[in-house]
Amino acid sequence: MDATTVLAEINGNIATVGYGLAAIGPAIGVGIVVGKTIEGVARQPELAGRLQVLMWIGIAFTEALAFIGIATYFIFTS
Amino acid sequence: MTDPRPESDRTPTSNPVLRRALAWGVVLAGVVLVVSGILGLVFAGTEGLVSALVGTLMAVVFMGITAASILFANRFASSDLFVGAFFGIVLGGWLLKFIVFIALVVLLRDADWLNPTVLFLSLVAGVIASLVVDVLVVARSRLSYASDVELPKAPRDD
Repeated sequence: MDATTVLAEINGNIATVGYGLAAIGPAIGVGIVVGKTIEGVARQPELAGRLQVLMWIGIAFTEALAFIGIATYFIFTS
Repeated sequence: MTDPRPESDRTPTSNPVLRRALAWGVVLAGVVLVVSGILGLVFAGTEGLVSALVGTLMAVVFMGITAASILFANRFASSDLFVGAFFGIVLGGWLLKFIVFIALVVLLRDADWLNPTVLFLSLVAGVIASLVVDVLVVARSRLSYASDVELPKAPRDD
């Protein structure tokens, strides 16, 4: 039995790791966007409306990558 | 403590911007739907047409849910639980959206009435189109810096 089989054998589709990355990246991104919005509104409540719009556009861009990443399931065949 | 002011006073000023983005998103979705539908029909026949329609609709609906959830959450602006309700609705909606999206992708992957490549390409086109609409609407929106300012109330004599 060679070393690769003993130490680092991986079964299944490697694309699964990609779906995990497609979920974790935007999750961290949205967490930062929302957290910073809360910080901003806590400092200046009168900016709530503006910050909400900026938060929304930040979330839109972050989640766009997640959508495309997960949708690659359609084109990556095992 | 319940705020005595009418509800309209406390609704965040971001509402018109989000509403405009949703409306323009629907308009541009129609354009993308027609273009990707024609391209799908040309390159992959009826399967391509159906895939293009499904892909564009998925992109626009799932991208629009964020704005829709913020608009819905803003209805509770006068509630004492607004902050909790707001983030619960917006982030809960986000989570639910991704679970539904992943489930849809898994279900549609092996459907023989769909062309996966056309579906993927029209989904990407829909996502990019919706981002373009979002950026244009935000760039053209005019919100004053202190749009949600709360002025101190006049003292009462009672």
